Amino acid sequence: MKKALLIALVTIGTQQLANAQDFKEGFVQEELSMQKYDKDPEAHAVFLNEFGNARIDITNDDHVRLIYDYHAKIKILDSKGLENGTIQIPVHNSDDVADEITDIKGSTYYTDDNGLMQKIDLDPKKVFQVKDYKYGGTVKFALPGLRSGCVIEFRYKLISPFWDSFHRWEFQDNIPKIHSQYEVHIPGFWTFNAALKGSLKLSKTSSELERECFTSHGAKSDCSHLMYAMNDIPAFVEEDYMTSAKNFLSAIDFELVEWMNPYTSVKTVVSKEWKDIDRQLKIDENFGSQLKRKDLMKERMAPIIAGKTTDIDKAQAIYSYLQKWYKWNDYIGIASSNGIKRAMEAHTGSIGDINLSLITALNACGINTEAVLLSTRDHGNINTLYPVLSDFNYVVAKANIDGNSYYLDASDPLLSFGLLQLKCLNDKGRVISLDKPSYWVELSGLQKSNSTRSLDLTLLENGKIKGSITNYYTGYEAYKKRKAIKKFNSVDEYIEDLDAKLPKIKILKSNISNLDSLNMPLGETLEVEIDAFDNMNKSQLVFNPFFWNKITTNPFKLAERDYPVDWGMASDERLLLTMHLPSQFIVETPPQNAAFALPNNGGMFATNYDNQGDTFTVSNITRFTKGIYSSNEYPYLKELYNKIILTEKADMVFKKK
Amino acid sequence: MKSFLLLSFLLFSGICAHAQENYDASLIAKELLPYASAVIRNKEVSIEVKDLDNTVYHIKTAITILNKNGSEMADILVWHNKSRIIKSIKGMVYNQFGKPTAKFSESDFEDVNSRDGFSLFQDLKIKHYNPPVTDYPYTVAYEYEVKSKQSLNFEDWEPNSTTGLAVEKSAYTFSCKPDFNIRYKEINMPPSVVKGTNKDGYKTYTWQVSNLKAIKDEPYSPNEDKYLSCVKIAPEKFSYEGITGSFTNWNEMGKWIYDKLLVSRLQIPATTAEYVKQLTQGITDPKLKAKKIYEYMQGKTHYISVQVGIGGYQPFLASDVDEQNYGDCKALVNYTQALLKTVNIESYYCVVQAGSRKASPLKDFASMNQFDHVILCLPFKNDTTFLECTSQKIPFGFLSDFTDDRTVLACTPAGGKLLHTPVYTAQNNLQQRNASFVLNADGELTGNILTSFKGTQYDNVQYIIDEAPKEQIKAVQKEYPIDNMDIVNAEFKQDKSLQPVTTETIRLNARDYASANEGKLSFIINATNRMSKVPREVRNRRLDVYINRGYTDEDEISYTLPAGYKLDMHPPNVLINKPFGKFSASITVKDNQLIYKRHMQIFDGTYNKDTYQDLVDFYQVVVESDSNNVTLIKGN
Repeated sequence: MKKALLIALVTIGTQQLANAQDFKEGFVQEELSMQKYDKDPEAHAVFLNEFGNARIDITNDDHVRLIYDYHAKIKILDSKGLENGTIQIPVHNSDDVADEITDIKGSTYYTDDNGLMQKIDLDPKKVFQVKDYKYGGTVKFALPGLRSGCVIEFRYKLISPFWDSFHRWEFQDNIPKIHSQYEVHIPGFWTFNAALKGSLKLSKTSSELERECFTSHGAKSDCSHLMYAMNDIPAFVEEDYMTSAKNFLSAIDFELVEWMNPYTSVKTVVSKEWKDIDRQLKIDENFGSQLKRKDLMKERMAPIIAGKTTDIDKAQAIYSYLQKWYKWNDYIGIASSNGIKRAMEAHTGSIGDINLSLITALNACGINTEAVLLSTRDHGNINTLYPVLSDFNYVVAKANIDGNSYYLDASDPLLSFGLLQLKCLNDKGRVISLDKPSYWVELSGLQKSNSTRSLDLTLLENGKIKGSITNYYTGYEAYKKRKAIKKFNSVDEYIEDLDAKLPKIKILKSNISNLDSLNMPLGETLEVEIDAFDNMNKSQLVFNPFFWNKITTNPFKLAERDYPVDWGMASDERLLLTMHLPSQFIVETPPQNAAFALPNNGGMFATNYDNQGDTFTVSNITRFTKGIYSSNEYPYLKELYNKIILTEKADMVFKKK
Repeated sequence: MKSFLLLSFLLFSGICAHAQENYDASLIAKELLPYASAVIRNKEVSIEVKDLDNTVYHIKTAITILNKNGSEMADILVWHNKSRIIKSIKGMVYNQFGKPTAKFSESDFEDVNSRDGFSLFQDLKIKHYNPPVTDYPYTVAYEYEVKSKQSLNFEDWEPNSTTGLAVEKSAYTFSCKPDFNIRYKEINMPPSVVKGTNKDGYKTYTWQVSNLKAIKDEPYSPNEDKYLSCVKIAPEKFSYEGITGSFTNWNEMGKWIYDKLLVSRLQIPATTAEYVKQLTQGITDPKLKAKKIYEYMQGKTHYISVQVGIGGYQPFLASDVDEQNYGDCKALVNYTQALLKTVNIESYYCVVQAGSRKASPLKDFASMNQFDHVILCLPFKNDTTFLECTSQKIPFGFLSDFTDDRTVLACTPAGGKLLHTPVYTAQNNLQQRNASFVLNADGELTGNILTSFKGTQYDNVQYIIDEAPKEQIKAVQKEYPIDNMDIVNAEFKQDKSLQPVTTETIRLNARDYASANEGKLSFIINATNRMSKVPREVRNRRLDVYINRGYTDEDEISYTLPAGYKLDMHPPNVLINKPFGKFSASITVKDNQLIYKRHMQIFDGTYNKDTYQDLVDFYQVVVESDSNNVTLIKGN
């Protein structure tokens, strides 16, 4: 049965290929003798040619499938390029259908030890398929006979039941490409939007009508045959502190707009405008239907909000209850996987399960709450020109209470009320509710990270410094700090570890406040004794007022960069050092008062020194007002760090009177 | 009377059984709680060899998870494949009071391929499950049975090897038919085996431990096999993937590997043999011949790991590697051996435990599971050379820190031989750096840095050398602690001789290296090699201090000072001498030259646990010295 199917598919494949403009397969002498790629002499390997062809068609077993043929030829220029000879193709599956990879063919052309041109073919037995997680796996193979200078060529066919997520094409890779071309054939029953991403331009694009390319049981339609090509595509080089490479990589994405059942002519508008998506989501079994299950939540939440009178108290109670109720199962997504009822009973679920439960529970208790669809940082930015539902991979709650909006994610028990994880702070989110049209909300500027640190220290006659260090963390800093403390089984174990990491500092007493009161600032007070000076019988003592948390190297090393620096949130860090000196010492060299600012109020660094008798203070503020800095702002950012380092490098000198 | 006795006995045993299964978290002894995120209440591992190709593992575990950090320890992972078949899995979750709250079974488990991070493919799958519970503490009790079709390897019993995990009770039972003989080894524990016979007439061997406290990580710990309790079991006769055999010592094991797994794998095509002969024609010194062949192999092949069935132990055919140009460590060693054989150079296939942390097999206990890698040994007269065959870059005869200084088993036609790989000493592992800088009155630094890397430091910058020139510059910028470092030129050379040397030459300038303040210039005197982290202190240290590998770093920097400036303040010279290391830093001034010299040397070895505080203090001095500023002042 399976064999028959395979043969049938092959015939379809060859018919189609005859029409498509695939490049010619086989050995080419110039390609084999090529020594380096002139447009990028440093490249380890280069795609000589790459061709993809995708179409929606009927397979022999009478199913609508997306049939994707891929063909590539790569020149391996040096031994580091050999890694491009190992091919990994991701495949997906649902509970009952799966992608299928067939017709894998691969060859390597090389010059042998005696200078003769040789060809070796991939052994089909050496193709492996592994399962990586519940809904996905990888087909892998290594081309045979690789060596520097060889040319590899391979092709495969992917037959996918998931035609609604039409195959994306990435023009850009981490090695350069000379030519890359993608052709798609879409029968008139389907309409897709195509979106070109990245900064590179297409070198050629065309469209034509194919007559009656799709027939099945009397249903017929013409196809749009679209072609996209790019030449001389540079390699993509990732940079530090950037979000998903997907945002910048040149690629073409397709989003299903509408389709018509070829047999019944019933038309389904999938996504045309947001109002269509709104309607679709509202009735979706795993989204809107779940949000309507207020009755399910009403009873469960009644004891949780009993005695609470204000909406904010109720909302906080429900939020923290569900945070504790659920153990996230590591799956993400915008919709519930099995329905919130089953998720609640199982105490576990995906992001969709957990946060749709939260939204429903809040609404059930009279707190107006909307769903926010978003794309996590590694998943890339959102297309805001028209709706692309597959751009979103995460959902959180937006509770509207007394004119304020609180963004909530109950999958992480350490997030305070209204705080999202960094991974969610990406581009825009789309707010969906059952009774209003959806709208955009900006996520990148949503929250801040704050810390203040005050040190009150006294230099003693014996050379030790004694005093207290008090830190307050709010917003995201508090979340990170709580996470760090909770890595230990108890606060005592955390303090013991902290003490152990600071050999010159003894922690005499400590107090952590609001560790579990997530909505309050986290406080940390340490009574410390520091072994500062072995010998006080000196005329001069050197002291660095920034010793507790000094920055010594610039995180930005490159002269320039191509992509924005994206930290996801603004930050504000303050330090106040108050120091009391023994009476026989005075300050000879104070720290410099410094103030530096980024253009357009983008941020600042300032220190201030003050001296009164035996006591001096150094205060310091480092502030970044934005989460994202463009590549034009990069030199200023780098320079601000340079100034911070120069300022913090300078030691103070105390002199004996 | 008699019947009454029987009844009471039944009653008693009934209560007993119930009491054993009481998973109330409050029953855990207080002394087991410090540093524990989870506690094993009871674990019973039983291995039953029913036949050479039929071993049954029965694992029964009850673990109490005390807090969120322990939740990973409730992961249930069951490995399986064609030769390791899961017979049953079931389990139950209990709340903190020991009341059952949920049941689970095999259908709740997710089944995925095992990923080791480097193999293209392994024929090993994992069924895994972690019960979703958020109310701490809770207990997960589960049992599963796996049938294994081999009797060569038995999993070691390590009752507690995980940090943060305490153990109330853990037992290990090995049983086998009367004619199945084993060797066993009890490590870091008193002899405690209980031998017996069970109802089926099988021989039994049982070990048991109770009340083990949670382990805390201690930096500079010795290898785990120096302090963790462990029982190893090996068979005398066995079957593995249809191949039978027997061994009781290293010699016999090496012989078995050679005869059954290796000897038939060495054929290579005549054309390749001919080519290799031609390649080495005219070379008389066998070592130079071997070098030529090794470099040919390096240029031809690359590393790809595929592990299927017996292929976990047996290399691909040499002829396959010859055609495919790839293989794993076994395949590439076997291929190299085959190439060398064509010119009559003898070599040994050597199994080894690889990794930067040195590890050797037990001298007196032969078993297969003490190795994870293969290298090749060339037993020349008066000179034994070892080859790492999976790298296309590593020099001939050099092992770097991956397989240096450890015992390996050479599998030869005459049987197994334990050999020791070369030792790279603290003096050998040398990084030598000479920098010559000009500092101007604005604080800008200009100059060169010349560094040579030897011994196990040879490949410190290999990852940079492998990059394209543009990326090399970015990587060099990240290596050095100099801000605003503008690299004018970076060049690398590698001398791949038997004592290989990498040389790095950098030309750079860096504005604002020194900060100017009120006519003074101050800067960190150590511009090239700073240590910034002091190992954390450990109260009540349990373990000896172990330094895995020694090294020497020498830095000499000369600064030409800006005209009109002289030294105002400088840190004191430092000199420390400890059994485990030496450090010195000094500053001298000659005319307008400021010379900084830093010498750091760490000696490998095992030191008494009381040495640990000295080590912390030592590094504290180094870190402080490395961050010291000097200040220049304008004027005479």
